[in-house]
Amino acid sequence: MSLSSDSTAAICETSVVLPANLHARPAGKLAQAAARFNSTILIEHAGKSVNPAGILAVMGLGATAGTTVTIRAEGEDAGAAVETLAAVLHAAE
Amino acid sequence: MTQSVGIVLVSHSAQLAAGLRDLLAQIGSDSVPVQVAGGTEDGRIGTSYDLILKAVSAADHGTGVVIVPDLGSSVLTARTVLEDHPRPDVLLVDAPFVEGALAAAITASTGADLSTVATAAQEARHVPKF
Repeated sequence: MSLSSDSTAAICETSVVLPANLHARPAGKLAQAAARFNSTILIEHAGKSVNPAGILAVMGLGATAGTTVTIRAEGEDAGAAVETLAAVLHAAE
Repeated sequence: MTQSVGIVLVSHSAQLAAGLRDLLAQIGSDSVPVQVAGGTEDGRIGTSYDLILKAVSAADHGTGVVIVPDLGSSVLTARTVLEDHPRPDVLLVDAPFVEGALAAAITASTGADLSTVATAAQEARHVPKF
């Protein structure tokens, strides 16, 4: 990796209070959205941290409506990744 | 966008395979070619060489096919089909039926290649349900 791409790397983080349980459908949407980014992304809930590209791991978090999920991304598209995944979680029904 | 990797669900039961296909479509993989080979050709519980062969052919859109078997003779019959029609781009995976198929379908829907889809299915075994 070149120095210039290192310098554009960013770390972004945001938290979302879930409007609905993080069940199969939103977990699937999250996995599909996460695949579009190059950044390393983690979804954190109640002390557990998983890669959102894995739908089963996301469902395994057992995150329910009203609880908080934190999205953390590191890489050149970290900002867009966090924003997009947060939007997916906000739209969960 | 290139066509995604295809998935074949092999089950002893036509309803089990069809129900799983419905579930995969609901969870956001309606862009993925998912074919079923469930039960025998005359509608009984069992597995069918010909149904598997047809399903693989129908699921194949040029980027490979992952076969997810339920258990037992689904594995054996699928193996026999692959022995008779050996292809490097058709893989039988050792994975839990529901979770493996779901992980494979979601991964395929992102445009992932054959080995990534197969790995996603196989890794499903190691992900706790809760």
